Amino acid sequence: MKIGLEVHVQLPTESKIFCSCPTTDASAPNTHVCPVCLGMPGSKPVLNRKVLEHGIALAKMLGCTVADTTWFSRKTYFYPDMSKGIQVTQHDCPVGRKGVYLIDGKKPVRITQIHIEEDPGKTKRVGDRSSLIDYNRSGIPLAEIVTEPDLKSPAEAREFLKQLVQDIRHTLGMPEDDERSIRCDCNISVGGERCEVKNVTGLRNVERALTFELIRQTKVQKAGGTIVRETRRFDEERGVTVSVRKKEFEADYGYIDEPDLGIFRIKELADSIAIAESPQNRIARLSRQYDVDERTAKQLVSTSMELTDLFEAAAAATDVKTAIAWVKGAVSANWKAFEDRSEEEGGPTTDGIIALIGRFHAGGMTDSECAIELKAYMTGEDRGTLRSGSSDLDDAVEAYLDENPGVVEDYRGNDKAVNKVIGAIMRTTGGAHSSADVVEAARRALGKRL
Amino acid sequence: MIRDALDRAKAADARHSIFRELLEEPPSTEPAFVFSASDNLVTADLGTCGGSRILEGHRPVFDATAVARMREAGGSLIGKTNLDEFGFGHFSVDSGYGVPLNPFDAERSCGGPCGGAACAAASLDGHVALAAGGSLSGPAGFCGVYGLTPTYGRVSRHGVLDCGSSSDRVGLLALDPGRLSECLPVIAGRDPRDPTSCVQPAPETEGRIGSIAVPEDATAGVDADVRTAFEAALEMLTSMGFEIATVATPSLAYAPAAHRVLVVAEASTNVAKYVGMRYGRQDGDLSMGFDDYFTHFRSEYFGDEAKLMTILGTYCRMEGNRDRYYAKALKVRAQTIGMYKELFETYDAVLTPSMPSVPPRFDAIAGMTAAEKHGYGRLTAGPSLAGLPHLSVPCGYGGTGLPVGMQFAAAHWNEGMLLRMAADWDSAFEVRRAEAVR
Ligand SMILES: [Zn+2]
Repeated sequence: MKIGLEVHVQLPTESKIFCSCPTTDASAPNTHVCPVCLGMPGSKPVLNRKVLEHGIALAKMLGCTVADTTWFSRKTYFYPDMSKGIQVTQHDCPVGRKGVYLIDGKKPVRITQIHIEEDPGKTKRVGDRSSLIDYNRSGIPLAEIVTEPDLKSPAEAREFLKQLVQDIRHTLGMPEDDERSIRCDCNISVGGERCEVKNVTGLRNVERALTFELIRQTKVQKAGGTIVRETRRFDEERGVTVSVRKKEFEADYGYIDEPDLGIFRIKELADSIAIAESPQNRIARLSRQYDVDERTAKQLVSTSMELTDLFEAAAAATDVKTAIAWVKGAVSANWKAFEDRSEEEGGPTTDGIIALIGRFHAGGMTDSECAIELKAYMTGEDRGTLRSGSSDLDDAVEAYLDENPGVVEDYRGNDKAVNKVIGAIMRTTGGAHSSADVVEAARRALGKRL
Repeated sequence: MIRDALDRAKAADARHSIFRELLEEPPSTEPAFVFSASDNLVTADLGTCGGSRILEGHRPVFDATAVARMREAGGSLIGKTNLDEFGFGHFSVDSGYGVPLNPFDAERSCGGPCGGAACAAASLDGHVALAAGGSLSGPAGFCGVYGLTPTYGRVSRHGVLDCGSSSDRVGLLALDPGRLSECLPVIAGRDPRDPTSCVQPAPETEGRIGSIAVPEDATAGVDADVRTAFEAALEMLTSMGFEIATVATPSLAYAPAAHRVLVVAEASTNVAKYVGMRYGRQDGDLSMGFDDYFTHFRSEYFGDEAKLMTILGTYCRMEGNRDRYYAKALKVRAQTIGMYKELFETYDAVLTPSMPSVPPRFDAIAGMTAAEKHGYGRLTAGPSLAGLPHLSVPCGYGGTGLPVGMQFAAAHWNEGMLLRMAADWDSAFEVRRAEAVR
């Protein structure tokens, strides 16, 4: 089976790609519009430089060759939500070509190209006979990432997208809670002709649509039929794909160069754009450089990139083993509270955390003292209260481990054995301690007995 | 005074069908000057139809930059001049709003695409006409006025209803060349709303044309009236002290075809937005599917030439044809620019007649094949394709007193030289006024 994706990502700019209309959600349809994005006669597009910068950053993130010179093209097709009757996109000279993206830092997916383009408006069906058009979306900047058919299963496609989206968000500095969803055109073939499922929204639907296609195409072939090349649509409610049109050959969009924007010589701009290490690359590097197991690296990265920065700094200040134990344990457990408080004036800092771990490493504190100090520092809770609570909890954990020495043995081979301890303590202490504290205490106690 | 100007414009319009729309009432304050704009320049007070029925009733929400700048300089826009639909044509006979008639002979063409603008310039005293197109030399030549097409990028195209976007320009037409020199600095300059407008120093007016290159085939195939007038003009230029040399320009032979391919390819995408939605006419049957609705509108309200242009342009862009036509035309453009650059190392200007004949009669135009019509653009195609500034000046009058124009093309950004030439020529050559003025 071969799967290739065309991934559309909305770029996080404040204004649209060719005009100064805002990209934020509008209170009513057709309010974030102007002569440019409505395609009024006489209006001319003016490129938002930020879009080009984002495009270049993503091209670099994908390991693409960034063009020295780039320009836009006009793609013609008639549709009511296309305000100009043309879509301005990149055809001959996309911002980036020929990259590779590594799933889990090792499985390569070749990237054919990445280009930038404008989104058309939105058509909303109203009843059987009419549609309404909202041009608020017209001119929203998009990057389209085109992969080679290197993905081998619907689950792998979903995992690819999940990691890709995480990396894109980080590279472009998009907030975690950003709700902009991705849209995909999915190409899939099980051996015969390929079918394209257009415009699937969200990771879960991509996997569902591909799985449906996999089963459908396999059935057709088993029954002795042939798959015809066609464009299909995914019905989210019914979970099925439906044929939209047969496609014997590529649609002819009659591309020409966009004469209104000119040519962009971007070498200097591209050279000046440095991209931060992507989350997936960091996962790969952490496991390589520090010999941290991949699961832990993933866990740290998915909590926060800043947490991994802290880990690296702590490892440099102490040693890898000490750093990983504390970062995975007490620091992770209290990270959420720390993030909120660190925004405050005079709040805790990562340097402060590293100093505490350093003191422990230098022998200035016992294990449980350090756990309390870290929690107190990171959450602002009272030391005395923590101390009494923690000694109760530690005692309970120690007592459990004394009675069940087999768990320590299990833990040696399987990280998941910690859950046994956590479950038991949660039951016996009747919810007196937060689950994060229990997890942390259990891990710490198990770690000591290894 | 403004009331007067408006009355004279109305009278000229009645005789020569110049305007698509004229100001009804004069403005309350007396303007510094009046001007007209071709109807492919959008204007917020007067409507804008670009010669097309599909835009009937369209009221733009903004002014084209050139129009806005003329207003800021104290000008009052009195009317929108008629032109070929979407600025595609050589005779201004393909408009949805009537045909402007030549000021020297009402049975003949004003030239195209902006015939109405040239007719206004010829018919109205002291008038300056703003017009957009790949070249204004055709209408300037046919109507016996001065016409300046600036360098591509000199004047903002913001507000131009695009035809061939990569060669369209906003220029000026007037009977008095001094008006061109006054108005070019007003409309010129970088505009943040048109990224193809350029930051360039104001036109240099000190530089003078010294040497002039005349392509050896400049008068090949032109009619006798044009040849006679052009040869007399060359003699006069020589007597005025200009050096004239005949040069070979073989690669210019491909310019007309390349120019046409680029114009139709771009124009066919520019008119894709006209589907009877959003602006202009929108009175179609809404129970149709959108494809049928669009097709109905475009079939009903595009003129034949606009349809031909759309079909040709789409053909040139199709997969399989694109390299043969569109991509090749881009190569010819690069080559043409290179050829001119080389010429301008030795000469200051390239001179040809503006049009291959005196203004043709309407009945003759009706009998022309598409290729014959297209042939009228062969002398303006080079400068249009290469984005060069060019100027058409009246240079003689054929047997029955019909105007003949000649066209100077200069290197990019050298409008100053051309304007200086216009002034020099005007003081030596007696420009005749059309009957309408008298
Ligand atoms: Zn807008």
